Amino acid sequence: MSHTFAELVIGGILLAPFAAYLAMALAVIIVLRPLLHVLGFAKLFSHAPVAELSLYVSVLGLLMLLF
Amino acid sequence: MVATTAEQPFTVAKIPVSSWSFAIRVWLAIVLALFVSFWLQLEAPTTAALTVVVLAEPTRGQALDKAGFRLLATVVGVTASIAITGLFRQAGELILAAFAVWFGICIFAATALDGYRGYAAVLCGYTVGFIAIQQIDNPLHVFESAMARGAAIVVGILSIAAVNALVFAPDRQPQLVAQLAALHRRVREYAGVTLRGEPFNATTFLTLLREIIALRPEVTSVALESSSGSLRSAAARSAVVALIAELQAARTKRDAESETSAWAAKELLRRDDEVRQNLLALRSGRSPPRTWRAPLYRSYATSAESGVRAAAWFAIASAFFVSAGWPAASVSLSFVALFAALGTTTPNPRALTVLGLVGAPIAIVLTGMLEFIVLDGADAFPLLAIALAPFTIGATLLLTSRNLLWSSLGRIFLPYIMLILAPSNPQTYNPQAFLFTSLFIIVALALLLVAQTLIPPVSDEKRRMRLLAEARNELQRIRPNEEAAEEATFRDASRIERFLAAGGAKDNRALAEMLSCFDQSTTLRLCEAKLMQFAAGPLASLADEARAAIVTRDARSQRAVATRFRELAPQNDSIEADVAACLVLTSDIVDASNGDHSSRKAA
Repeated sequence: MSHTFAELVIGGILLAPFAAYLAMALAVIIVLRPLLHVLGFAKLFSHAPVAELSLYVSVLGLLMLLF
Repeated sequence: MVATTAEQPFTVAKIPVSSWSFAIRVWLAIVLALFVSFWLQLEAPTTAALTVVVLAEPTRGQALDKAGFRLLATVVGVTASIAITGLFRQAGELILAAFAVWFGICIFAATALDGYRGYAAVLCGYTVGFIAIQQIDNPLHVFESAMARGAAIVVGILSIAAVNALVFAPDRQPQLVAQLAALHRRVREYAGVTLRGEPFNATTFLTLLREIIALRPEVTSVALESSSGSLRSAAARSAVVALIAELQAARTKRDAESETSAWAAKELLRRDDEVRQNLLALRSGRSPPRTWRAPLYRSYATSAESGVRAAAWFAIASAFFVSAGWPAASVSLSFVALFAALGTTTPNPRALTVLGLVGAPIAIVLTGMLEFIVLDGADAFPLLAIALAPFTIGATLLLTSRNLLWSSLGRIFLPYIMLILAPSNPQTYNPQAFLFTSLFIIVALALLLVAQTLIPPVSDEKRRMRLLAEARNELQRIRPNEEAAEEATFRDASRIERFLAAGGAKDNRALAEMLSCFDQSTTLRLCEAKLMQFAAGPLASLADEARAAIVTRDARSQRAVATRFRELAPQNDSIEADVAACLVLTSDIVDASNGDHSSRKAA
């Protein structure tokens, strides 16, 4: 089964669906941040930035898989 | 800069390892940005590499912070480009005039802001130069050119963000904690010296003030670093504001006999405790006990004048290019916009132009070596990556140098190399294009230097006089409860910092008056804030009387009200006794300033 993507067109220019996913994943991470702080996410890992990057990639992958 | 650690860093070839890792990170991010741009077949891979170069900041938080502002400013700049081109596409000259006005507005905003916000305002200006002006002859391509630039900038930002996260770039937060703790210690030492009754050391005070204010734009960098970043950033900002308040409290004159002495010591301790709590909140990632804003002083008259002058520089350069009628002069004009804009974020815009003019030939020779001797027709990406290594790593190492000249040269070499090499897929290796780009840069800088000589930037003396006049005027217009006393004190301190940046340390007389205005306004505000506590109580009428005496600067009435407050005070550390001491201090300051005024008149 082939996956269909919603097209994002600005001013007659077709943007890659990937760009929209990137922005959506960023929005999700920004919304998740206060929750991550409450959960003590940064204290769970020795290198929190790598963990946050991995989380971003996971969210991006999930978005692409589900929507 | 503040030296915060005494231990010697580990070095390789006499260069600290942190500088090496920073340089290698920048190189890796450039290579990644170019690779992704080539792979996605973007139209402007050079912009992606340039974005990495612009975001080459030693810590992760700073790079992310600057990246956010770069993206935002690009969106604003692109919108302005489309609007300007849409409105004036029939006449090229009108586009140039409209751009000069827009440029002036952006420079006005840039000089009124600081740190990366100032950079963003500057970028809004020169983005129009790179999009609308370069496409002046075919306005229909403005939107496409804007999209290509936007895509390349996103790729550049993602590349440096990914490299910084994966290669363990240091965070800004631990450094900020160390810097603030060191400053706190030094402010305490300064307060200790004045507490012992030794004379004030103005140099120490001014150095501390400058170093604390310099941290203001950096506290926002912490916000993006981690999930607790926004709380830490708020704590750091509050700590910076509280430090200024403590530093000011340490200046209150004391003599053992005076009744205000005990009050001033108590006030200092209270400030010290505030700083300590804010630092604790910053370390532990909790929200600070009280969140302060850190308002920056803005001299709108000076900013407006800078904006008008920058617009005039651009107008002179465009008039020259239009009358010369050279082909592709628009590229050179966009470089004029770039350097004129970046210059206004430095204390001396002309110095940056001169530095750019000196650095350009060296960068051209280096890039020529890279393009025609090292690469010399190579078309494999790994070869490009390897050949770029010594040039980008070398320039970044220069950038980290403690010597201001070397570090400034490094700062301009990095973008120059990318701009002149203009990596593309496939690389053209066209000597003519190389020579043209080099020539455009040098002509643009020379022209800008001429324009800046004809219409010089706002002089230091004028800026100082304006700041002093504004400080005097503001002192007459202090109104209760406009904002928190601590925030107002911070704004006044940032005005002193601007005064010092304009060479104020040499102008002893104006500096003394500036500091006197600072002390007066702080004490007046503090007194007003204390009086507000009686607004609804039985002593409201007495508080109103005190407030009226403050507004009219009537020292005698202030002392009379202070005596009545003291009589009503149930004990020594009550609010009434506090207000009484504060009023006495205010009356002393009013008396001293009246003495100043009469002596100035006599002189």
